[in-house]
Amino acid sequence: MGIRKELYEWELLGRELFVVNDYPNAGQEYSIFTGQYGTSIKEPATCAEDEFYVIDRISCKSGVSPNEYIVDGGTLTKWNPNMFIQVVINTTGYYRDPQNVYSAGISGMASPYPMTAYRLKYYDLWPPIYVTEGQTWDIRYTLYNDLRQAYNNGLFTDIQGDLVLAQVFVDYTLYEGTDAVLAKKLVSLGVPVTVDSVMWLRQLMLKSKGMRMDTYEFYLKAKKIIREKEKKKRIMQGISTVSDYEDG
Amino acid sequence: MAVRRQAHEWRNVMPVGETKILNSHPVLVPDNVRTVPLPRGIPVDIFVGDIGNTLDVPGELKAFQYIVLDAIAVWPQTLAAQIYVNTTRYFQRPDGVPHEGITGNVVPFPNGNSGIINFDYREGLNPPLYIAPGQTWGIEVTPIEDIPEYTGSDVTDANIAFCYVKYLLVDGVDALVAKALIDAGWEITVENIEKYKELLVRNNLLAALQEIPESISERKRRV
Repeated sequence: MGIRKELYEWELLGRELFVVNDYPNAGQEYSIFTGQYGTSIKEPATCAEDEFYVIDRISCKSGVSPNEYIVDGGTLTKWNPNMFIQVVINTTGYYRDPQNVYSAGISGMASPYPMTAYRLKYYDLWPPIYVTEGQTWDIRYTLYNDLRQAYNNGLFTDIQGDLVLAQVFVDYTLYEGTDAVLAKKLVSLGVPVTVDSVMWLRQLMLKSKGMRMDTYEFYLKAKKIIREKEKKKRIMQGISTVSDYEDG
Repeated sequence: MAVRRQAHEWRNVMPVGETKILNSHPVLVPDNVRTVPLPRGIPVDIFVGDIGNTLDVPGELKAFQYIVLDAIAVWPQTLAAQIYVNTTRYFQRPDGVPHEGITGNVVPFPNGNSGIINFDYREGLNPPLYIAPGQTWGIEVTPIEDIPEYTGSDVTDANIAFCYVKYLLVDGVDALVAKALIDAGWEITVENIEKYKELLVRNNLLAALQEIPESISERKRRV
C-alpha cells in the first residue's frame, strides 16, 4: 500500500449535560489532532523519513449567525460554529491576510463540509500542500460563536448528544516507501506530485530498469507523457479548460 | 510554501453596539449580534473601511510578491464589489466609467446562498488580475439599495453581507519566476510557474555537464 488516499474527520459533538471544559473558548485556535476538544489523536502529525504527504482539500462546517440556534425544552439542537481553519507546517501558517499577517484561515462558508446544494465550495486548495520528511503538520480551527457564553447567559441547559457543533475534513494523499522516494524525485524535477505522476514514474523506472534516471531525454519524455495523461483525464472528467484543447 | 492559495472574507455582522473590529473576526454571542446597515450608493472598503472585520493597512505587496486575483464573490444580491489597484477600478461601464461592480446575483457568497448558484464565473475572473510589487489593492462593496440593520432572529446567514476574495500569493523566489513569465508574455498560473521552473532545472542539468572553469575551481578562499 504505497499510495493511499486518506481522510481525517474531526468532530465536536454535544455531550448532553453541559460542562464548560468540554468545549473550546471562542476566538482561540486549537489543533484538530492534539487539541483537547472533540475527536483527537495522541501524537502530532509528523511526516516520517519514508513518507510524503500531499494535502488536497480542507473544509469545515458552515454557518455564521449565532442567532440561528434552536433550543428545545432547554436542549440545544442546532448551532452555527462560525469557524475558520488554518494549516500549519512546522511553525509556519499557510494562510495570511492581505497585510501579510497570520490569519484564522478559510471559513466554512468558502470551503463547506458537508457540501450541500445551498453550500457549494468556492475554495480549492490548489496548488496542494506538500509535507516532506521531518515536517510536522497541523490543522487548527477557531470558533467565533461563543458556546460557553451562550450557556452562561442561560440560553440552554444541555446539548443534544449527537449534535455536531463543529466539523473539519481533511483530504490528503499519503505516499509511503519507494513511492515517497519517487514523489521527492518528482518534486526535485519540478513535476507536480499526483497519484498518476508517481505511478507513471514507477512504470518508467521499471521499464528502464532503474538506469539513467536523470538523463535529459528521459526527463523530457516523462514530463510530456504525464502532461498528456493529465490533460486527457481532465477532459474525461469534464473539468478541462480552454488551454487543454490548445496545442503544446 | 512560495505559491499559496489565499482567501479573505469580510462580513458586516458584529456584536450589538459595535461597527468594526481590527485584524480579526468578532466573537459572537447569540441574541447579542446585529448586522451593520449599509446605505445605498456609499462604498465600503473591506480592508480599511469602518464596517465589519477590517485590517490595519490596505493590501500592499512587498518587493518580492505577486498576487493573481482570480475570484470574487459577494452577498446579498443588492451588494456590488469593485476591485481597485492603486487608483484604477476593474469593472467599468461600456463608456469606460467605473461602476459599482459585480453583484451577488452573479457571484453569490456562499455559492448556493438562498438557492442562487454561480454559473457564470465558475472559473473566476478570466483573465485574472495581476497585482505587481509595490501596488496597493483592495475591494470596495457598494449597496445598490439600502441594506438595513438586522437584529435578533433576523440575523441569519441570508441577511449577513459578505465579500469574499480568492487569490494566488506568489512569494519569494517564485515571484522572480512570475516576473519572468510576465516579461515573456505568459500567464501567471501554478502550471506555468512549475513549467518555467522545469525549464530552469533542465538548463541547470545542461549547465552542470560543463566543467567548472579553472578561474573558479582554483580560486583561493578569502576570509
